[in-house]
Amino acid sequence: MSPRPLAKINKIDPAELKMLKKRIDIAMVVIILSATLLLTRLWYLQIYRGDEYAKLSEINRIRIQEIAAPRGNILDRTGQPIITNRPRFNVVWNREDAPNPDAIIKDLAKILGEDISVLLDRIRAATENPRYMPTRLKEDIDWETLVAIENKHLSLPGVRIEVMPSRDYLYGDFASHLVGYLGEISRAELSEKHYVTYQSGDQVGKQGVEKIFERYLKGEKGRNYLEVDVHGFEQRQMQLQDPYPGNDLHLTLDIELQRTAEEAMAGKAGAVVVMEVNTGNLLVMSSSPPLHLQEFIGGISQTAWDKMLNDPLHPLLDKTIQGQYPPGSVFKIATALAAISEGIVTPDATYFCGGSLNFGNRRYGCWKKGGHGTVDFQRALIESCDVYFYSVGMRLGVDKIAKYANSLGLGKKTGIDLEHEKGGIIPSAAWKQQRYKEKWQDGETLSVAIGQGYVLTTPLQICRMTAAVVNGGTLYRPQLVHSITAPDGKTLKTFSPASEGKILGSAHSLALIKEALVGVVNSAGGTAKVVALPDVLIGGKTGTAQVVNLSHVAGMSEKSIPYKYRDHAWFTSFAPAENPEIAITVLVEHGQHGGSAAGPVAKAVFKRYFELKNGKPENPAEAPLPSPAMDEKEE
Amino acid sequence: MLRFDRRLLLNIDWVLIMAVLVVALIGLANLYSSTHLYTNVGAPLYLKELTYYLFGAAVILLIVSIDYRVLLTLNYPLYAAMILLLVVALAVGKMVGGSQRWIDLGFFRLQPSEPAKLILVVTLASYYYRKETGKGFGLLDLAVPALLTALPFLLIAKQPDLGTALLLAFVFVSMTLFVKLRWTTLATLLCLGLSAIPIAWKFFLKPYQRQRVATFLNPENDPLGTGYHIIQSKIAVGSGLIFGKGYLQGTQGQLDFLPERHTDFAFSVWAEEWGFFGSALLIICYFFMILWGLNIAISARDKFGVLLAFGVVSLIFWQAFINLAMVMGLLPVVGVPLPLFSYGGSSLLTNLAGLGLLMNIRMRRYMGTS
Repeated sequence: MSPRPLAKINKIDPAELKMLKKRIDIAMVVIILSATLLLTRLWYLQIYRGDEYAKLSEINRIRIQEIAAPRGNILDRTGQPIITNRPRFNVVWNREDAPNPDAIIKDLAKILGEDISVLLDRIRAATENPRYMPTRLKEDIDWETLVAIENKHLSLPGVRIEVMPSRDYLYGDFASHLVGYLGEISRAELSEKHYVTYQSGDQVGKQGVEKIFERYLKGEKGRNYLEVDVHGFEQRQMQLQDPYPGNDLHLTLDIELQRTAEEAMAGKAGAVVVMEVNTGNLLVMSSSPPLHLQEFIGGISQTAWDKMLNDPLHPLLDKTIQGQYPPGSVFKIATALAAISEGIVTPDATYFCGGSLNFGNRRYGCWKKGGHGTVDFQRALIESCDVYFYSVGMRLGVDKIAKYANSLGLGKKTGIDLEHEKGGIIPSAAWKQQRYKEKWQDGETLSVAIGQGYVLTTPLQICRMTAAVVNGGTLYRPQLVHSITAPDGKTLKTFSPASEGKILGSAHSLALIKEALVGVVNSAGGTAKVVALPDVLIGGKTGTAQVVNLSHVAGMSEKSIPYKYRDHAWFTSFAPAENPEIAITVLVEHGQHGGSAAGPVAKAVFKRYFELKNGKPENPAEAPLPSPAMDEKEE
Repeated sequence: MLRFDRRLLLNIDWVLIMAVLVVALIGLANLYSSTHLYTNVGAPLYLKELTYYLFGAAVILLIVSIDYRVLLTLNYPLYAAMILLLVVALAVGKMVGGSQRWIDLGFFRLQPSEPAKLILVVTLASYYYRKETGKGFGLLDLAVPALLTALPFLLIAKQPDLGTALLLAFVFVSMTLFVKLRWTTLATLLCLGLSAIPIAWKFFLKPYQRQRVATFLNPENDPLGTGYHIIQSKIAVGSGLIFGKGYLQGTQGQLDFLPERHTDFAFSVWAEEWGFFGSALLIICYFFMILWGLNIAISARDKFGVLLAFGVVSLIFWQAFINLAMVMGLLPVVGVPLPLFSYGGSSLLTNLAGLGLLMNIRMRRYMGTS
């Protein structure tokens, strides 16, 4: 059978075969039990808990990439866009795609005009990130750089362009404090309830209407469902869910007027507020100097921030609602209303101003050292006679003045849809007791009567007061937003004028004051004659607010007074006098004279307003001319 | 020697051949699915595997044409050759995945631990066949087979390939339990075995091996590290649901979430794409093959055939069970391939050779014993 005999083998003896069979049976049982165990496990994984694992496998392979939604546009009251979006191009680096990184980075540095070490630092800083995550090498490159990179993309493997929507400020720093800016959501914000749908890295409104109306503007993020492998690299796109743009915000602002005001305020620090007297809609809200919104894109640099912090013109402060200034003579409107309403004076009763008033053991001087002579109620307002108002103030007492001032909306927040609004101060005896634990001194009432002392107001408050006085006595809540519309044009929300009730004072008293204010601009001896326009009757009131006690600047000529000690200049006004439409309030910090510093700014805006209204919109805004010829040096 | 007995043709084990063919075809199809996205050098893996299958068919032909009793004379030379190969693998072996398992033959990278499994079966079957049992094996009688097992066990554990080493131990235990043991011996061994576990844990296991066991007990502790394999494999299997995601549609496998998806975790790919139906079918196929193997063992014409068949069956059973339990998260991750299903020439040829032995024994069940 074979060259080598096989080992001799005997058949198994029956007893042993029986034993082996028994063990084979045992083995069969073990094997069948094992199979049952495995099948049960299979059932458990695939059927009992299958849905759970199916879900896990979905998450495993799909990466959801969020696509930022274009933010809603911000438009003016005529529907002209103020802020829109533009694509922003970033250069990103995908190291996985680059066979020869060093050479590529070197080439790229040349194109970007960056030092190679800057790029390498960025790459190094990102080594901890997952490999699939591109590293951002340069943000917001210009058009030429973009073209240069696109032309060379074949020799730059691994270099890609990332497109992100970004704010496009069509008018630069236009209304910058009011519109505000965007920034990356902070850790603190992320933990707040109304940011619950946000993720770190998202852009949110940080200030102004961008912040207040964030939920309308933000839109809905799109999602890109990408199938990825275990290393996180994209394999293919599964589904693209386009982002849904945010809603458009129609402001009450008027681009033309706002620009006119900002141009007129160029180089100055201060505020311009223009309000429709019968609605409370704000046509202009300008704080100077503006914020440089461009600097905030992608996060403002520390040096730029420090520069703003240390700027004596305080660009960070929104002076329309956060700047609190003594109103000076502008406040005489409130004192006058109190005096005539309380019957302290009659319109015709005259008073003699000899240039000063002695009260207690102190002499209170009038700004016109020679005195105004005999003045009646309206003349005192027109010429802004301090002595007259000392006298009525003395007779009114501080609490009466405060009552009327409060009714005019002073000393409290206006409730505008902006953050960090300041309320100002209207002092009263109770207020001083509470604040300083001191009794009110009657002498202090004299200062309050002419808007000095403890009195602090914001430009917006003064504008609203002016509007209320000339519209027949209705105090409106200032309105910034006219309506909100969806991207498809549907109106989601409109804001109608919100009255906060009537101010104190009879219609007759208000008419008297209004008439006097027209005189301020138009009659001989008025403090704001420089503002008068030929076709339109304007009314207004000037004010000069002392910043420091006179002793600081005693004997100095105006030009030699240090900037920070110079008086603030106020002018609040309205037109047309017969049937007022708008109120304009201008504050120029350290502008020294209400009539000459603030008046021309208001004049320029009035001029533009009526040009537009009478169908001459093609005329460019005319720069206000500083008036060389003041009738009289005011106050 | 090669004189061919026509009667053998009548007794060809078509059932086993069919079972093997079914598993082989499923395995090849699955291998295509798990590797067609690979960009490896040389021929695609499923083609390589097909070549191994053809080579394995030749090996089976060679094996069935020779009476298995030849092994009774060849067992020690084979054993010596196996030890030599294991030593060579340790000395000059190619480092793959951190252990020295391969010997590069130029055209083929041999993994000697694979044939070692089958050779140990042959060695133990021969030993137990020769040794008269009488009242059953005592403790001292087990010294030689234990030593015969311990030598390859240690050499393989040193590579380190704990899974294969443990497999040898399982085969040894299975075969030893199958031949008659004295009750006292069994009890003593049980005690010894249990007391060895903590000692082995402390002194014998390498840190990464301990880590694997710890991870198995709680995979979610380290989802991206050592627990990753278990979690991803369970997700792959579980997400197959009843009918699977479809051929070539498995996301876990195709998207590279599954590690070792063409070797140890090949079943996960299958389970993901074919669901409970396909997976249960495959498992039933395996266990049918294994039970059929036991049938072969009991119908063998002599005790050597019984022992040899039982040994081969236990080898295939333990591999299949450990691998399936591992990919379904019932056992820690140890490198044990699924016979005929996981890619790998050494493993495939070894298992086919074992199946060849079964066919050999089956064919000769009615043959004379001399």
